[in-house]
Amino acid sequence: MRVFLDHNAGSPLRPEAVAAIVEFSRSRHGNPASVHRSGQSARKLLEESRRCVADLIGASPREIVFTSGGTESNNLAIEGAIRRAGARRRIITSSIEHSSLLTPLMSLEGRGFEVVKVAPDREGRVPSETVEALIDESVALVTLGLVNAETGVIQDVSSAGRRANEAGAFFHLDAAQALGRIPIDAASIGCDLMTLSGHKIGAPSGIGVLFVRESCAIAPVMLGGPQEGGLRAGTQNLLGAAAFGAAARAVSATMTEETARIAAMTEALLQGLERSIPGLALNGPRHGRVCNTINLSFPGVLGESMLIALDLEGIEVSMGSACAAGAVEPSHVLVAMGRSEAEARSSLRLSLGWSTRPEEIARALEVIARVWRRVADAEPVVAEALR
Amino acid sequence: MSARVLVAMSGGVDSSVAAAMLHEQGYEVVGMAMRLAPEPAAGARRRATCCSHEDFEDARRVAERMGFPFYVIDLRSDFTARVVENFVSEYLSGRTPNPCVMCNREIKFDRLWRRARAIGADYVATGHYARIRRDQTGGFHLMRAADTSKDQSYFLFSLGQEELSRTLFPLGDVTKSEVRSRAREIGLVNAEKPESQEICFVPDGDYARFVERAAGSASVRAGRVVGPDGRVLGEHRGIHRFTVGQRRGLGIAGGEPLYVREIRPDSADVVVGPRSLLSSAGLVARDVSMVRAALRDTAIRVEVKARYRQHPVPAMLRLGDNRRAEVRFAERGPAVTPGQACVFYSGDEVLGGGFIERALEA
Repeated sequence: MRVFLDHNAGSPLRPEAVAAIVEFSRSRHGNPASVHRSGQSARKLLEESRRCVADLIGASPREIVFTSGGTESNNLAIEGAIRRAGARRRIITSSIEHSSLLTPLMSLEGRGFEVVKVAPDREGRVPSETVEALIDESVALVTLGLVNAETGVIQDVSSAGRRANEAGAFFHLDAAQALGRIPIDAASIGCDLMTLSGHKIGAPSGIGVLFVRESCAIAPVMLGGPQEGGLRAGTQNLLGAAAFGAAARAVSATMTEETARIAAMTEALLQGLERSIPGLALNGPRHGRVCNTINLSFPGVLGESMLIALDLEGIEVSMGSACAAGAVEPSHVLVAMGRSEAEARSSLRLSLGWSTRPEEIARALEVIARVWRRVADAEPVVAEALR
Repeated sequence: MSARVLVAMSGGVDSSVAAAMLHEQGYEVVGMAMRLAPEPAAGARRRATCCSHEDFEDARRVAERMGFPFYVIDLRSDFTARVVENFVSEYLSGRTPNPCVMCNREIKFDRLWRRARAIGADYVATGHYARIRRDQTGGFHLMRAADTSKDQSYFLFSLGQEELSRTLFPLGDVTKSEVRSRAREIGLVNAEKPESQEICFVPDGDYARFVERAAGSASVRAGRVVGPDGRVLGEHRGIHRFTVGQRRGLGIAGGEPLYVREIRPDSADVVVGPRSLLSSAGLVARDVSMVRAALRDTAIRVEVKARYRQHPVPAMLRLGDNRRAEVRFAERGPAVTPGQACVFYSGDEVLGGGFIERALEA
């Protein structure tokens, strides 16, 4: 039995998404911009999919811009906003964001922008009062993750949003890891821009969305045809959009029940591991995380060894991020949370999802405890190095 | 269930074929590439190092093609602490280190073995050209490779019984040309890849500059170049720039060719002399280890290699206390270079070895 506990990297395709892909592959073709009937049919499918995604976040379909994924959405949000931000030169973010936010922001520093990165507390929460206090009329953009990918911490962004609004700054949320895990209501959350990613909810990778509030004017980055309200030129990824729409519809229909089911399994996994592994530490708060994510420091071992040993036993988890050569690097999120590099190197992320079953959790509990004992025995990391 | 083997893969043809052979023999192969070298300075030639991104990709493609799992692991801090720092301090002490021997002892057959146990592997395998034989009593013998022109047993002398019992050298019985043709047969992408030559973490071959960068210029020991009669012939910019037996780069013109005879770390003097003064009667080795237990204070007839590219010469070995040994050549031999490995053979068998501390004049 292989047990996939890396949904935050991308969930397996939901059956509804598979069905949409199969149906599209069999019977659909055409360009949604074409005048003929095939074009009209393609356009209908695209707009139905747009509505499904809009419904999932309480938005209007007109506010949904299809992109190639979360990374493009984040890039479009940042670049599109700052091009409409006049003389404002400050950007507020946090130090625990995804590289698809932090890397484009770093490039803006070279273009005369000042990027302020708010540090999280030890639990991984970005203090909202700190963010709020930084926002004034000099701020072009406030951009924050709604849910942290590595710890699952749900950030309190409402006051920052209100303050950004008052100050006339763009407010962007990266909700890639929040979609399907917590209810999102675009109308009440108070953001101008919001990033969504298809493969985090069981659609394929290569399709994403940037929610752009109707009243919000950003500049396009990709130039060309008039697709996506002029904000994203290029023929849409219709296959991806159809699958994203189908997955979004499935999530809308089952989210309450699904998140409760996942939360129970996640809690069972956490408590079971805490019982069998003395000294195991949860990186993040006990409460206030999404239903599916736990980030754990395993005492006396390297996460790199655990990751490989677990993979060979059929348990798939993740650690930090991969470098270009394919080795794992310790998580910048955990380091920002005040963990030592050694602590960060002993940490793994386990993330559940729609396909996770209780028997997989039982199996994971048995294997992880056994593998941890073997790794700790064979390749101990001395305690001093861990502190 | 078949035995699980961790195969150290560099992306080169040897370790790729080694992994493929074990896979075909039915072992459960787990390929692993090690990040070892510290990050190269900006602008350095990346392709030349053994840990470059492209090499890992070559190894990954081999694993994909053969269908076994492959991982890249990060052992940079271990490699720096256990190989690079030793390399630097040996040079600064006037010795000429052999980091490949150190890497085998400290990284591949110690650090990597612990990783192997952690992932549930029974063996570590590498693409070294050497053989392991097991006798009727269960003892392990380290033997030269069938392809004597590629034999790498010299670099492996530090392996003891325990290490040999859990090590596999699939290339021990094949020749390099067979390895290349095996690589082509199974369609490995790197069949024609050139041999790596330099020390992997000094891709440009400029050891002196590497040592200066790593240690800082304050650690550099400049001094005098002294002739056989004690006369000062000139000055030099650091003892780490010299190796015993070296001829070029002494900065002294004219007359009979001069060679480095001795490096004196205390005074930072580099003593030079004509070729006739280079020979030695033997050597003293430290940090000696024997593949199988051997008697101390007994003369053992051996053949010795005092550097990799050298034919073994007959000698008498006498093991002493504190892992030291004295080696007396049957005939006066060429210069021995402190810091290099000296390896004791009996025919095709490696008996053990150590690191040269000093030459014996008589």
